[in-house]
Amino acid sequence: ATGASALAAPAVLGQSPIKWRLQTYAGVALAEHVVKPAIDAFNKVANGEMVIELYTADQLVPTGELFRAMQAGTIDAVQSDEDSMAAPVDVSVFGGYFPFATRYSLDVPVLFNQYGLKEIWEEAYSEVENVTWLSAGSWDPCHFNTTKPIRSLEDLKGLRVYTFPTAGRFLTQFGVIPVNIPYEDAEVAVQTGELDGMAWSGITEDYTVGWADVTKYFLTNNITGAWIGSFFANSERWNEVPEHLQALFRLCMDSSHYYRQWWYWGGEANLRVNGDKLELTSIPDSEWNQVVKAAETFWEEVAAESDRSKRVVEILKKYAGVMEKAGPPYRCV
Amino acid sequence: MSYELIALMMFSTMMLLLLTGQRIYGAIGFVAVASALLLWGDGGSELGFSAAMKLMKWYPLLTLPMFIFMGYMLSESGIADDLYRMFHVWFGPVRGGLAVGTIGLMVVVSAMNGLSVAGMAIGASIALPELLRRGYDKIMVTGVIQAGSSLGILVPPSVVLVLYGMIARQPIGQLWLAGAVPGLVMAGLFVIYILIRCALQPKLGPVLPKEERQVSWGEKMRLLQAGILPFLIFLSMTGLFVMGYTSLVESSAVGAVAATLAALVKGRLTFKVLHTTVEKTLGISAMFMWIILAALCFGAVFDGLGAVKAIEHLFIDKLGLGPWEIIIMMQISFILMGMFLDDTAMLVIVAPLYVPLVGALGFDLIWYGVLYTITCQIAYMTPPFGYNLFLMRAMAPPEVTLGDIYRSIIPFVIVMVLAMVLLMVFPEMALWLPNKVYGL
Amino acid sequence: MPETVKRYVRYVDALNRKVGLFAMYLIFGMLGILFYSAISKAFFLPSLWTLEMAQFVMVAYYMLGGGYTLQTGTHVRMDLLYSRWRPRTKAAVDSVTILFLIFFLVLLLAGGYSSTEYAIRYGEESYSAWAPKMWPIKVIMCIAIFLTLLQAVATFFKNLAEAIGDPIEEIGGEAVS
Ligand code: NA
Ligand code: NA
Repeated sequence: ATGASALAAPAVLGQSPIKWRLQTYAGVALAEHVVKPAIDAFNKVANGEMVIELYTADQLVPTGELFRAMQAGTIDAVQSDEDSMAAPVDVSVFGGYFPFATRYSLDVPVLFNQYGLKEIWEEAYSEVENVTWLSAGSWDPCHFNTTKPIRSLEDLKGLRVYTFPTAGRFLTQFGVIPVNIPYEDAEVAVQTGELDGMAWSGITEDYTVGWADVTKYFLTNNITGAWIGSFFANSERWNEVPEHLQALFRLCMDSSHYYRQWWYWGGEANLRVNGDKLELTSIPDSEWNQVVKAAETFWEEVAAESDRSKRVVEILKKYAGVMEKAGPPYRCV
Repeated sequence: MSYELIALMMFSTMMLLLLTGQRIYGAIGFVAVASALLLWGDGGSELGFSAAMKLMKWYPLLTLPMFIFMGYMLSESGIADDLYRMFHVWFGPVRGGLAVGTIGLMVVVSAMNGLSVAGMAIGASIALPELLRRGYDKIMVTGVIQAGSSLGILVPPSVVLVLYGMIARQPIGQLWLAGAVPGLVMAGLFVIYILIRCALQPKLGPVLPKEERQVSWGEKMRLLQAGILPFLIFLSMTGLFVMGYTSLVESSAVGAVAATLAALVKGRLTFKVLHTTVEKTLGISAMFMWIILAALCFGAVFDGLGAVKAIEHLFIDKLGLGPWEIIIMMQISFILMGMFLDDTAMLVIVAPLYVPLVGALGFDLIWYGVLYTITCQIAYMTPPFGYNLFLMRAMAPPEVTLGDIYRSIIPFVIVMVLAMVLLMVFPEMALWLPNKVYGL
Repeated sequence: MPETVKRYVRYVDALNRKVGLFAMYLIFGMLGILFYSAISKAFFLPSLWTLEMAQFVMVAYYMLGGGYTLQTGTHVRMDLLYSRWRPRTKAAVDSVTILFLIFFLVLLLAGGYSSTEYAIRYGEESYSAWAPKMWPIKVIMCIAIFLTLLQAVATFFKNLAEAIGDPIEEIGGEAVS
């Protein structure tokens, strides 16, 4: 149906619509949920004035070139975390899975809208030529799903996992070997033995994209409760868009964020209980605490990297403090 | 410009440029970057290099130079000489026996490497002169070697199935195993064809003269030892990979090391052999990779200009075909394109358009991978374009003319089409072994 | 052909022959890294740099081999019609159609320059935990594309010279086209 309507698009009202190419970090199966509904809605409401064509992971340009491609206008807009597309800003280390920075997916919009991360992000991207950061939303927690069971920190040693750069950098101290390949290749890479699994997502994504079919175990401990992912656009392209369509695009980004809030939250609990493809394993809290402690050191290291990073770490700490004092249901210490 | 028009323009310009005889990667690459420059808009000029970065991240491509190196090393190592003697002595007393033995040799060579070039090189340099000297019909033997060497991409390991696996996102271990039985069946069909043909026309494949047949049983058994080294090579590469000890790219390196060791053991590893091997390896690897680079660029531009939609639209909405009709049409279009296009380029440009459709129609993508590979074999065999044709022309003695080469493949292509039909009717042929091994 | 052109062709041929000789032995770099990876995975802890490093070497390998393989005529052509032409017709057609190849290489280089400039300006690192700087491999790629481009231009001159009946003699190289 999209094929047919898109084919008809160029003729609408005899005027050429604004046309954007948006590439998401997500592969085809995941994009069905995390971005496609929002883009379809946008195209429908824009009613031929503007058409966004959606492309999935590495489809037009490889992830490594994504940022540059957006800056040069090869791609008009991007949905991704900053970490995996190596956005050239100091805060990109937080945009993804920053170890133990968040507990729940609602933490992310709160941090951005009430604790000042939004302003910091706008400031950071204002220093980069021709790319505008638009909006951050939250995703799922970061768990391991692997071909071998993980029941102690010892089991992490020598494990080759597909993970985010920052998470990978953090996890190497426990003997994890992070491997980076294109998103859509991860499933086959487990089968060709290049990977022992992933530390990339929650269980919903594992089931949705087929990773649950190639791995056996799911570790219930997570290294972060919610991913931070953003929408970006080429600045020139964004500024050419009339105000009402900009507003519409903002609504659609929010609708994409909202969809993920319930889709992941519901999926995580349901699949742990009712899913039959992955066996759950856990590392006892007493032992896992070493990882939590290591994150404190990691936070300090990152805070020392730049003034802006220091401000972000302070905000994360302040937020965590408030949540802990508030007690259940915010934090159950 | 409509999507249909863009699709049509890009394909027809490419075909036209290919017809001029310019290097394939130049023709495909030009159409890609020129279309991007004209139609993409801002940043269109970046797409060529971005394809080069995409290629870099395509990790299974690491197996390509490894397999090519391995293939040349094997053909230089002299392993094939012993093997050939073994098949020669064992099958010699039968009408057409040497041709049957050559198919056997090709199956063993196929099990040791992932492409067809090594089989061609070994077949043309070792088997062809011997067969001709013993009065075998030149058309028959040229066909035997070309068809036999094409098994290289069907019998595991297979580079074509690696590339297919990456595009279709299917497990390579299972794809390889899926190719094994159809590969052996096809070899069996070749043998049956040779035996029947030579029984009807004994002149085509005469029995070995008496004095050559006088080989003692002890000697015959001793010759079987020639199979040990190939078996070890097969085990060190495909075996370790399927059992999960080495990853895919690692196993290709292990295979390359094993082939080098085999040459060392056979006392053939001179500096000259080494140098020839690395020189030829660079030639073939660079040829493949520049084509893949150009094809990846073509694919991205074709996709980003919306032309992919036109193809989907054509198959799903316009033609209104049933699933089997679509599959058959796709195979026919592959064979037609394969006549003119290099099969690597075909894989990188066309498979991304077809494969998702095949999946959406509810077909098993492992099964389709094997079907696709057989199509590639046919494309590889059929004139006017095919690597075997280039190689055969370069390696065959002068009495084998181009016409002979073209004519020689006809019966074997018919056998391949038969194998393809068998596979369509009995998908278990491909799926039984991987299901058994991976316990699905 | 003017002497300058002949000198250019000979110089480029010689240069790319040397680069090609270097490139062809890079296969052992790839082989070594992957074999080390297999061994370290089987007996010790795997390393996090092997796959990416092997990919860098692979790219350097085939790209630096670009000029040399163009010179030795390794790249396949669709020769349905081509194979039937006389050498001079081939050269004449080639001298026109190689401009398409040159165009492709120029745009490849343009994109390469832009991407390399970005990598240097922003200190781009690979998006992996190993996080190597990206500029070295990009610079190598640009040099390789440039060398291939030089060779393509040299081939254009050779084709042109043959087409007008004044072929440039080769020193130890293969036949033209
Ligand atoms: Na094979
Ligand atoms: Na062909």
